Formats: sequence, structure tokens, C-alpha cells
Amino acid sequence: MKVWLVLALVLAGALALAACAGHEWASPVDLARALAGDTDMRSRLLFEWRMPRVLAAALVGVLLGLGGAVFQGVFRNPLAEPYLLGSAGGAALGATIALLVPLGASQSLLLPALAFAGAWGATVLVIGVSRVAGAVDAAGMLLAGVAVAAVLGALRSFLMLALSDEAVSLQIVLSWVLGGVQTPTWAVLGLFAAISAGCFGLTTLLARGLDVLGLGETMAIGFGLDVKRFVALAVLAGSVVVAAAVAFGGLVAFVGLAAPHIARWLVGPMHRPLLPASALVGASIVAIADAIARSALPPSEIPLGLVTAVAGGPFFILLLARRLRT
Amino acid sequence: MTTIAADDLALRRSGATLLAEVSLSLGPTGSVAVIGPNGAGKSMLLRTLAGIETPTAGQVRIDGRNLARLPGAARARQIGYLPQYFEPHWDLPVIDLIRLGAERAKHDTDGSVETVIAAFELAAPRERRWSSLSGGERARVLLAMVLAVDPPVLLADEPAASLDIRHRLDVVQALARRGKDRLSVVVMHDLDLVFRFFDRAIMLNRGRIVTDGPARDLFDDPRLDAAFGVEFERFKTPDGSLLRVK
Repeated sequence: MKVWLVLALVLAGALALAACAGHEWASPVDLARALAGDTDMRSRLLFEWRMPRVLAAALVGVLLGLGGAVFQGVFRNPLAEPYLLGSAGGAALGATIALLVPLGASQSLLLPALAFAGAWGATVLVIGVSRVAGAVDAAGMLLAGVAVAAVLGALRSFLMLALSDEAVSLQIVLSWVLGGVQTPTWAVLGLFAAISAGCFGLTTLLARGLDVLGLGETMAIGFGLDVKRFVALAVLAGSVVVAAAVAFGGLVAFVGLAAPHIARWLVGPMHRPLLPASALVGASIVAIADAIARSALPPSEIPLGLVTAVAGGPFFILLLARRLRT
Repeated sequence: MTTIAADDLALRRSGATLLAEVSLSLGPTGSVAVIGPNGAGKSMLLRTLAGIETPTAGQVRIDGRNLARLPGAARARQIGYLPQYFEPHWDLPVIDLIRLGAERAKHDTDGSVETVIAAFELAAPRERRWSSLSGGERARVLLAMVLAVDPPVLLADEPAASLDIRHRLDVVQALARRGKDRLSVVVMHDLDLVFRFFDRAIMLNRGRIVTDGPARDLFDDPRLDAAFGVEFERFKTPDGSLLRVK
């Protein structure tokens, strides 16, 4: 119970700090006035621009935390991460196609749909490649993920070079690919919150299966789990979550790796507490990272993906070193 | 009370025949030892009876119903399968491992968790993680996980292989005792323990059943020597029978 209180307080603190941070720092009193409905310019800017952005960043973190926990659970590999396994790269390729190729459909539908197709396709490809190579263990899967991500990245770069023109600025696609939360209206934020809640519900349904799968395939089948069907469903659900995160936040590296790890230290490896804890930790991380992205180099913004990569890269190296030592 | 039967089972993997023409009928009670040399197909027979492996031909029936058509949850309540090796991917504490086993039951998970914790003397290490347990504690935890729903059929694959002599004796005795009012099928390497504790012995060689009958009758059977490729010296003792390789 104490852990949940701490997680909730950390998130509340992160959200408040992120809402204060920016080109111009706001005080907690300014925040309170904006929330109370004050109509001066400063309060309106805070309420209509900064707060939706902070909440959107937190929701991207929720999705990345959930996606990371699901992928680590399915692959029974603490180094699995949507970014490293190629699913985020697949989602990015799908979204780049939606942004650059004139397919005739509405972009607001096309972008999430193609991001999902890309995330799912890339994950299935990584599983397929590692199976064909006969290396379904942690290292094999990560190597296959790196290879698939490299190919998808090259395809994405080619599309960006070949198809961007005056109508679609390369910078729009690039800034999106490097990761960055756009400021949504409250209505769009409501939709994003509903999608995130749906993703949370979806992953919660997987929790017991992920716990049983963690006992190993033989025990899982012995305990009544249809392993092949469950893994296929869980990969699909994980891809939906990653696609939603990528559609709203671009490519944000390492949060999907770090959030479940930190959550596991706090609540243990059982997925029933791990999934909500990963969501809370992910939300806190991305809210803070986005605040740094907005306020570190005023008046310009650093892409969010660069901030998380700079902080997350060393974290990954640390985990890898610990794992290799054991 | 549950019976389990195999009808003309065959299992082939990567071109190799692992089981062939295996037919048997087991239960509803009894302690059955499955023996045979390495590669005889003992583990594969148990895995197929448990529904872990799908047979290439033939079928496994549980109370007359085709096991392959039984929903996974129902199968997991009827059959407890104790694997030869178990290493969870996440370093879970004892209580969570047992709870995962107990959740196969439809209701009263908490009650069955406490019952098996008491029965297997796991109250002291209940909060300890798997990586910190000794070999004996791990064997007890695994048994508690599998038996948490008190399944009418227990299929155990060399459950005591990695244990010292005292713990091995405890586990084998407990499994054989279960055969008094339930069905307990155990893959065994220690033949002396088979003669001492089990009602029935099934001997496999090269994927086929060589003998199937009362365990005590196998003691003098020359097919035992032929299957294991050695010559046994046989000794009768007041509390059992002993084999020694000549």
C-alpha cells in the first residue's frame, strides 16, 4: 500500500513540476490559479497549452510503461523493449507512410492504423527471424530486433528523402520521428485518455497469463494456458499499446525498458501489480523528460526522444552489464 | 476419481520416433512407476499424457474424453504435471509461485494456498524468492504448486533426481502414498525404490512398452537386464529387493 502511495505522490510531483517548467517558469500559485479558472493570459496559456501537453506526455509514458511490461512478460526477457524489438521502429515506418504517402484516407485514421500495422508486423518479423536463426533466447531476439529495426529505419529514411517536398516538410516528419509530444486540445486529450484507459484494460486482461507464462512454457501448458494463442494475442495487444504511444508521442526510446524495471524493483515481478506500477513510473519519467525537452534550451525545444535516449542509454548498458555478470 | 488412457499413441519429432504403439490404461488409483534406460521415451510419454506434447497418432483419453478436446483450464485441474526441470523466468517469492498453482482451481484459492503451505512445511520460507531456496525447498515448492488444486492425477517426471538421499526418499514416498486414493504416475531411475514403494511398473525401451505389470513381478524379469543392457545381481532383504550391477 505504501509503495502505491509513493508512486502516486511521485507522479503528482512530476506532473506539478512539469507544469511549472517551460520557457517561462510558473509557480505552484500560478498553477492553482489556472486550475481555479482564472482568465488572465498567463493562466489561460497554462491551462490551454502547458497542462494538456504535460498530461499527454504522461499518457505517452503510461503506454510505453505498459507496452514495455507486456513485451518483457511475453518474451520473458527483462531486456525486451518496444524500441529494441523493432515494434516502435515498425510503428514509426507505418506513421511515416501515413504522413508522406498520399493514400487518400484521413490522416487521423491512417496514422494510428498504419502505426499499429507496422508495430505488429515488425514484432512478428523479429520473432520469425529469431526462430529461423534458431536463437529464440534473449540475445537472439535482441539481435534480430536490432537487425529488423535497422532495415525499417533505412526504409523510413529513404521514404523521408524520396517523398518529402514543399507540401510535407521533412522537419515535421523528422521532429515526429525523434519523439515529441504535440500539445493537444482538451477534446483530443480526452480521446487519448480514453484510448490509454482501453490499453490499460487490455493489458490487465493479460496479467495472469503473463504470470503463468513466466513459469516457462511447459509449466504454463501444465497450468492450462494455451501458450501459442496467448503469445499471439499478447503480441497483438502489445503492438496496439506501442502503436498508440508512437502515434501520440513519436519514437521515445528506453522508457519501455526502464519503467517496468523500476516498477519491478518496487512491486516485484508479478504482472498484476507490475502493469499499473509500470504505467505510473512511465508517466512520471516522460512527464519529467518532456519538461526537460521544453525548458533546457529556451526558446527552442529538444526532441523528447533525444532526452530519453541520453538518460536511457546508460541505464540499458548498466542492465546489460549486470545481466552478463550474472 | 479419474482414469487416464492412451490408445495406440505415436510421437515423432524431427523424423525420430519417440513413442510408438503405446496403449495403456491407468487409474483411478494406484502408484505407477515408469522406468527404462535413457532415451526410452519416459519423459515424452508423461508429457503426452499430460497434454504438453500433441501425439502424432492415437489419443489420450481422460475419463473417456479426448484430452486434446478438453479446455486447458479443465485439464489443469484434473492433471498435475511435475516437470523434470523448473526454473521460473522471474525470481518470484514462494507464496506467489504457490498462488499461481492454486489459481487453477475455480474457487477458494487462499484456502488451498494455506493448506499446501502447511502440508509442505513452507511457512518459514513463504516470502523468500526462488533464487534463495535450497534444492530441497525448491522440490517442496514445486510439489506444492502442482498439488495446490489436489488433482486426481499426478504425473511426475523424475521429481527427485537432483535431491540428496533423504529428500529423495521423502518425495518418492509422498508420491507413492498418493496412489492409495488417487493416481500417481512417476518416472523413476532408482529401481530399488520402485520395487519398494510402487504398485505397478511400466518399462519402456526405444519408445515402446516392454513390460507393464505389478512392480514386484519385474524384479526377476530378465527383460529388465535386456532393456538396461546390463546384468543385475538380485538380493532379497527383509524390507525389499535390491539390484546390483554385476
